[in-house]
Amino acid sequence: MTRADTVGIVGAGSFGSALASVLARAGRRVVLWSRDAGVVDAIRTRRASPRLPSAPLPEPLEATTDPRRLAAEARFLVLAVSSTDVRVRARELGDYLDGSHIVVHAIGALDKDGNERVSEVMQQGLPTLKLGVLAGPALPADLAEGMYASMVVASAFDEVRAEGRRLLNAPPALRVYGTKDVVGVELASALSGAYTIALGLCDGLGMSTGPRAVLLTRAVAEGARLCQAAGGEARTFAGLAGLGNLLVRPNERSADYQLGRELAAGGKGTPTEGARAAAAGAELAARLHVRMPVLAGMAAVLSGRASVTDAASLIADSVAVEE
Amino acid sequence: MTPTTSDRPVREAENRLERFNADRERLLAEVERRVVARRIAESRAGGDASLEYVLNDVAYCEIKRLEHKKNGPGQSARWRDLSRKLVTMSEEDKQQELRELVRHYGRDIVGNFDPRVYKFATGIGPAMLGVLFSPTGTLREGMAALRNLDARITADGDIDIARACAERGTIVVTPTHSSNMDSPAIGLGLLRAHLPPTTYGAGKNLFTNPFISFFMRNLGAYRVDRRLKFELYKDVLKEYSTVLLEHGYHSLFFPGGTRCRSNIVEKNLKLGLLGTTVTAYKNLVREGMPNKRLYIVPATINYRLVLEAETLIDDYLAETGKNRYIITDDEFSRIGRLLEFFRKIVAHEGSVVVRFGRPYDPFGNEITDDGESIDRAGRIVDPASYVRGADGEVTDDDQRDAEYTRALGRRLAQAFPRLTVFHSTHLLARVLYDELARRAGTRDIYRLLRVAPAACSVAVTDAAEGIVKLRARLAQHPEWGAENPMHQAQAATAVVDDAVRGLGSYHTRAVVTRAGDSLHVEDVKLLYYYQNRTAHIPSES
Repeated sequence: MTRADTVGIVGAGSFGSALASVLARAGRRVVLWSRDAGVVDAIRTRRASPRLPSAPLPEPLEATTDPRRLAAEARFLVLAVSSTDVRVRARELGDYLDGSHIVVHAIGALDKDGNERVSEVMQQGLPTLKLGVLAGPALPADLAEGMYASMVVASAFDEVRAEGRRLLNAPPALRVYGTKDVVGVELASALSGAYTIALGLCDGLGMSTGPRAVLLTRAVAEGARLCQAAGGEARTFAGLAGLGNLLVRPNERSADYQLGRELAAGGKGTPTEGARAAAAGAELAARLHVRMPVLAGMAAVLSGRASVTDAASLIADSVAVEE
Repeated sequence: MTPTTSDRPVREAENRLERFNADRERLLAEVERRVVARRIAESRAGGDASLEYVLNDVAYCEIKRLEHKKNGPGQSARWRDLSRKLVTMSEEDKQQELRELVRHYGRDIVGNFDPRVYKFATGIGPAMLGVLFSPTGTLREGMAALRNLDARITADGDIDIARACAERGTIVVTPTHSSNMDSPAIGLGLLRAHLPPTTYGAGKNLFTNPFISFFMRNLGAYRVDRRLKFELYKDVLKEYSTVLLEHGYHSLFFPGGTRCRSNIVEKNLKLGLLGTTVTAYKNLVREGMPNKRLYIVPATINYRLVLEAETLIDDYLAETGKNRYIITDDEFSRIGRLLEFFRKIVAHEGSVVVRFGRPYDPFGNEITDDGESIDRAGRIVDPASYVRGADGEVTDDDQRDAEYTRALGRRLAQAFPRLTVFHSTHLLARVLYDELARRAGTRDIYRLLRVAPAACSVAVTDAAEGIVKLRARLAQHPEWGAENPMHQAQAATAVVDDAVRGLGSYHTRAVVTRAGDSLHVEDVKLLYYYQNRTAHIPSES
């Protein structure tokens, strides 16, 4: 298989491994890169990642710790690392890439002030301009089990979307849609983590389906407003990266959802990607003068500025406006 | 990797336009060959790409254009005839018609470079203009004006690296655009900077002024007829620009498109022909010449007073102009007004400052002093890689190239504020506008236009204090731009006096007048226009 037909995956965490698994099982050539030699060894010997043992990683998938090899063998790369590692990883990887590479990230996060989206952070570290984002309701466990999943790849470059769809489509397990709305998809993907905490909280407090539905729809409405104010399209939030994620993420395996439940139980929990996105999103909303009572309430609870009860009252008492 | 300093001596860059006339027929033939070959190849897809459609589009647009012209209906006979014949024409006949049209529009666009006119314009011309610039016109003052000509239109910034780039490759100068005086101003700015002259596309409407037209026609300007909206014309124009760049002709594009009506530092760039830089470089890579580099040099043209300020701001506020129609009867087309501008305005020392910035490559990457592209992380990157595919082959992708050009445009828009030079007129206008806005509780121009005249007076001491504060803020934020270096040593009161002199001397109505210890804003509209140059500076909280 040629370099043009190879997918490089940066990061052998749960999502990177799951995606690699789906693609490798569909016959796509995959080069999986990890900094951890132990992880690479495990993949080579056991044909599975220690981070997601349920996902088989059959040949022709190859694992490597050598970024030079990754860049030489694959032009299309998926960055699947933790949001806190993006800047360092992009810079490290950038030493081996050039302007012809295509890099999409699969990181639903915002930086701490909401000033930069992940693609903007990537742009500072990578030589290529052909960047994009991959997002949607594809849980690692579902991908590992080969269950039906869909994602969306967003980029301003037609070539990135076309290559993303060509190389990542692995029907029936994974179907990939395309959109130009990078801003919308990145914000929707990041904020859906924050709203997943809110849904965990809601469920933890034992609320019925009525209030849950209100929470969900208000989240979509205010998320759409933020997307639009930030330069994206409002409708994107109602797509795979926004609503799609919100429908699938509230489950026991989600750290964001678990955090919400712990907060409902009076605990503090461990900060998650969604918690960081809540704080950053609230900052961004304030800067853009976008009214987001649900997100602001979540950010207040997570930062300890408000109790769960206070936040719930704030959200419930927020003025209903005509939209 | 960090940018390195070149140890190559930087000498005055060569004037490549001197060989333009000898090259002209070859360039036109190349444009014709490429456009015709591409159109014929595309026509095989049929539909909108068919030659019948392409030729009919030309005929239809020309008939529509001529309908509104005096004697137009008579001239449109040729196009009506073409439109009628199209149905029965053979494919060979259509190809021939296409070839003739491409040749016709190519000849309409092509420029000319007369070394004698260049010598005149750069030697005797400035001297003559120097006399024109003299405020009183006496011989002694005229001679003094000659001696001080260098001080009138100054050029500064990253000149050495721009000159080095002009030696190593081809430069594309991309200035801000606020006046029809920009073409001669940037021409003189290039001369002051010892940069080579460039070719550039000038709107056909600019050729209405016979004096300026003579120089433009003979100094490498090519004609852009913005009334011709059909695709074939745009195709010929873009190909002409591409071929010029490939052949190493330094070029100039105004990325903002038309003159900026509001006088803000442009941020939403239309880019236009700038996209031809990526195409030209891609073609060079394909031809095996990846080291024949193209460099995009941002520049700002900063006027103490703008010739057409009144027309432009009226147009902006009325929201009739912007880009919807082309002004053909503004101050630029009136010789008397132009001379008055020269005499009263440009006579002032340092009244026009052209500031050049560090060049970029066609993909918006910065470059080292050696002309190598560096990515956002400071690593040297091969620019040819941006147009290559997975196996190193050069790939054609118009959408990708348009995105690259947009990325370049964003870098230029980021660079412009930093390269902005503020004259006393801008500083005082900002201070006075801030004060009027504070009193009225709004910065909305439409509300401020209705403010009572009595509320438009500001004490000179308050204005000077405002200038001091604004200068202090500028010193802390070089990314906002800087004050004209010639006036940085002046006291704030001297800046106020200088600005009042400028703002009260040229426009049909004084913008600001002084009575004793008070300044009075006479024209809020023009005050807004001049303060807009500082609009990217946030209000003090």
